[in-house]
Amino acid sequence: MAARGHVQDPNDRRLRPIYDYLDNGNNKMAIQQADKLLKKHKDLHCAKVLKAIGMQRTGKQDEAFNLAQEVATLEPTDDNSLQALTILYREMHRPELVTKLYEAAVRKVPLSEEYHSHLFMAYARVGDYKKMQQAGMALYKIVPKNPYYFWSVMSLVMQAISAQDEKLAQTMFLPLAERMVEKMVKEEKIEAEAEVQLYFMILERLGKCVEALNMVRGPLGEKLTSELQSRENKCMMMYQRLQLWPECNALSYKLLLKNPDDWQFYLSYFDSLFHLMDMSWSPSEEGQHCVEGHVTTTVAEAVKFVVDRMAEEDKKDSRPLRGPYMACLELIHRLRQRGCPDDKELGDPLELMVQFFGKFGDKPCCITDLKIYLHLLPPEQHTQFRNRLEELVPLGEAGEDGFRFPGDTKALQRHLCVCQLSRALGLQHALDTEGKLSLIAQLKAHYHHGLRFRKSCLKTELQFSDMYCLMAAHVYIDLWTENGDENMLWQCLGLLEEGLSFSPSNAQFKLLLLLLFCRLGAFQPVVDLYSSLDAKHVQHDTIGYLLTRYAGSLGQFAAASQSCNFSLRFFHSNQKDTSEYIIQAYKYGAFEKIPEFIAFRTRLNQSLHFAQVRTERMLLDLYTEADITLSLEESVKAMGVCAEEEDIPWDNMRDNRDLTVLVSWDPKDRELTEEHRRLSLEEESVWLKVRSLTLRLLASLALLGHAPSPRNSDKTNENGVTTKSSTLQNLLSQLDQTLQTAARITEKQTKKVRGQRTCLSFVVFWFSSPDDSSELQSQICNTFKSIVVQLQEMLSRCKGEVLEMKDRRLKTQPSLLETLVFFLETVCVVLWVASYSANVLRPLKSSLQKKKKKKKDTCTAMPVVLCGFQEWTSGLQGVVTQALDHVKAQEAQLTTLKLAALTLEEGDQQTQEECGFTRVAMDKVQSSYLGSLQELGDLLRKRADSLKSLKI
Amino acid sequence: FLSLNSNLDPLTETYGIPFYLQYLAHWPEYFIVAEAPGGELMGYIMGKAEGSVAREEWHGHVTALSVAPEFRRLGLAAKLMEMLEEISERKGGFFVDLFVRVSNQVAVNMYKQLGYSVYRTVIEYYSASNGEPDEDAYDMRKALSRDTEKKSIIPLPHPVRPEDIE
Repeated sequence: MAARGHVQDPNDRRLRPIYDYLDNGNNKMAIQQADKLLKKHKDLHCAKVLKAIGMQRTGKQDEAFNLAQEVATLEPTDDNSLQALTILYREMHRPELVTKLYEAAVRKVPLSEEYHSHLFMAYARVGDYKKMQQAGMALYKIVPKNPYYFWSVMSLVMQAISAQDEKLAQTMFLPLAERMVEKMVKEEKIEAEAEVQLYFMILERLGKCVEALNMVRGPLGEKLTSELQSRENKCMMMYQRLQLWPECNALSYKLLLKNPDDWQFYLSYFDSLFHLMDMSWSPSEEGQHCVEGHVTTTVAEAVKFVVDRMAEEDKKDSRPLRGPYMACLELIHRLRQRGCPDDKELGDPLELMVQFFGKFGDKPCCITDLKIYLHLLPPEQHTQFRNRLEELVPLGEAGEDGFRFPGDTKALQRHLCVCQLSRALGLQHALDTEGKLSLIAQLKAHYHHGLRFRKSCLKTELQFSDMYCLMAAHVYIDLWTENGDENMLWQCLGLLEEGLSFSPSNAQFKLLLLLLFCRLGAFQPVVDLYSSLDAKHVQHDTIGYLLTRYAGSLGQFAAASQSCNFSLRFFHSNQKDTSEYIIQAYKYGAFEKIPEFIAFRTRLNQSLHFAQVRTERMLLDLYTEADITLSLEESVKAMGVCAEEEDIPWDNMRDNRDLTVLVSWDPKDRELTEEHRRLSLEEESVWLKVRSLTLRLLASLALLGHAPSPRNSDKTNENGVTTKSSTLQNLLSQLDQTLQTAARITEKQTKKVRGQRTCLSFVVFWFSSPDDSSELQSQICNTFKSIVVQLQEMLSRCKGEVLEMKDRRLKTQPSLLETLVFFLETVCVVLWVASYSANVLRPLKSSLQKKKKKKKDTCTAMPVVLCGFQEWTSGLQGVVTQALDHVKAQEAQLTTLKLAALTLEEGDQQTQEECGFTRVAMDKVQSSYLGSLQELGDLLRKRADSLKSLKI
Repeated sequence: FLSLNSNLDPLTETYGIPFYLQYLAHWPEYFIVAEAPGGELMGYIMGKAEGSVAREEWHGHVTALSVAPEFRRLGLAAKLMEMLEEISERKGGFFVDLFVRVSNQVAVNMYKQLGYSVYRTVIEYYSASNGEPDEDAYDMRKALSRDTEKKSIIPLPHPVRPEDIE
């Protein structure tokens, strides 16, 4: 807690115990102590604020706020109160109140450096750049310290960055910032490196590259010392922007001589060379090349440069660098791209790559390095290439099984690299089923053989041969997807389970298992796998999608909600945390980082995954809780869902998914492309839109329930209802559009949603006509009937066995689970609509009954709609009962399914031990299905109960 | 700057975003990331400068050094350390120091090869979870050119407690 140290102040002494209680989390005692103190010292405002902090932390938000406001309106100027209020407001997520606080303090104590500086930071927390600019200047006027001046300059830059109108940035904010810095330069007041960096930032953003370049090269540039090669990097950046290819080339050349392993400069070296050739550049008469020195102008020179670099490495006694050898391949690639025949000068790519393998084949990165250049080999060379590499792998004599194994880990790494390369060349994919099966046998043998190399038995250590295991799993998956042979999948799962037993920390095993279990619809094991991955922070965004995508739709509601929470907690803390570090960046003059921090925060806030978990979490809560523990209306209010307002940034959605987190050595034509990512993003977005519209429709339905019945309402209420109904109409038409888009992507998913849509659109009927014409009534009744029919159809699609044994093999149909979950969701929606309908009809009925009593008019028949409703509810009852029976039957079937009876054929590739692991995986799937069915059954029963109580 | 790649290595600490942001805000030059030609993240080093100049304790500190498994045994860690030492030299530091788990023999040996020696042992520096005992750390140091007599690396005779170090 803040504000200590002035021990002399008696108030500090009095407050100390309260601070201590708060620090130790003893909020109750803090409140008591504050009360005690306040009895004696009524005007000790800080005690009130500390009490408020205690209250805030014990969940009494409203009281805490009121108490805090009592102090705030007095506009305190004592440090203790100000700091305590700042802490409180931050915990309340009300940073804007801090600005008010210090605005008042500054007004009362206009010369306080401290309060002005707090005010600046308060503005920074809410991102009010204009006010920051002013506050910075005000500070500088009181205390002419450079940092304050440059805070103000930076705030101008931030106004430029955040300006909607780029013209305003270019013609107003940035030039003003530039002039402010120039003034300091002229007065020779520039002191710190940070100030020079900021100046560079401004010039760069203004596109004044020449000026920026001169500045970096000039005396101011001498201040750029903290970062390594800071001046060189900045010059390079400007050369590239200015297309000063001679300078760019010469500087790259120089830097490569210094460090021949700095990859980025090979790229700029080659790029600039080709630009120079295209413009037929030649040095001036005097032989002077350019300020950066010697310029390379011909391919021959570049070839010599690269060859020399390799020769240098060859001569070295110490470990050679990879850079020059890769640069050679890169140059061949570039020359071929240009159709330049000189690439021959560098040698045959096959030979070069074999050489590379000879030098670096025992390093795990060899595959990553060579993979990029495999395209330099013509297909007819692929097998030859592999054979050449195999010759370089020292293996022992063939054993009984005919396999030859490596004798140490270096040989193992080499052998593994050959396997990885042949997979990357597509040689594994070209094998037929039999070939693949024997490949799996070989990989497994190498895997088991390699287990002996592990030295320690630390749990965190991976096995040297783990990658064989993973690759065998990949081949199994190839076989499964090609032939649809589910047995391959089970064996694959078994193998991965086995791998995990030897390497409990192998993240790749876990990720692949996680993915496969999700595909199988078994969410239970996934939860454990994910938590054992120990994903932290940003990983909830980058890899969280792997499971949240499946969470809700598989019937494991509790687990799903937990998974969403993991991710949500991360996203919520991001907003708060980042602001604090933006402020720190100002304090330490790390100006370059400020826009980066803000961009990072925005990127997370606009994350697709964030929007998904947010929406799914709320839907999940509604489906499992609304009208069971709380009413739908209360639930919606508690969540703060607003039907009218869009809370998803559709146009700026950021796809932060790390789609390459799973290792793959697939050949290029099977690799994930940008197109795949685009399609996937499109699909996810459309589905998210459907879900979020459903959520908003439910919200608007809930709020309708709140409105008085439209039929018997006073005319004055009409307006309110009309807006609500138009919101509903509007959302429905949006949903229709989205469904049309969705239909283009995937027909199957869309069909399911239509049912829900029908139910929701039905609500609109209640508004469509003010009178109760018989035409409308029969229309409504027809819809009643059609809803039952649709539910019935949906249920019939759920029929089938989720898991069954057929010809002694295990067969799964996970899509049945998903369909069942969707059916259940739809039942929920129908029930909410029914409950709303009941609310509308109830007054109608009672008024009719009154009329009957009064007039004794037997002619007034029961309106069609009332009978229709009763028929409807009993129809619904029927469907729900059937569904319950179905779930019960499935549960029973699953329980009796004895997997032990499944004789896994041992001869069929698997040893007894391996069969054991496969069975473990099967058991997990079975128990997960059972869990899903139980949760589904429970919820369905609860819904059935609420249906019974639905009467008019 | 911050890469969104996934660090799932069990031996590497993944810090919270605030932790990284704090370093980036305060010592941006001490945050160096190495990228492979294919765009993969190879490794990173993160550090800071701290200590009193007057007491000749101004120094560079290695907070985190991590190399992705597939880019190990290439000398990358040594390169990153060299860069951090260079930055500390420029800042006029007397030495560079780092903490390492006593059990992490591979790392201790690597640092020794890079010229670091054990200055002192810090008792129970690493708090352990799941009931295992807390682990000791070595505080390892390497003198920079400003410390001409290499006074900063004379080993302390007795181990210290975490609360006794600044």
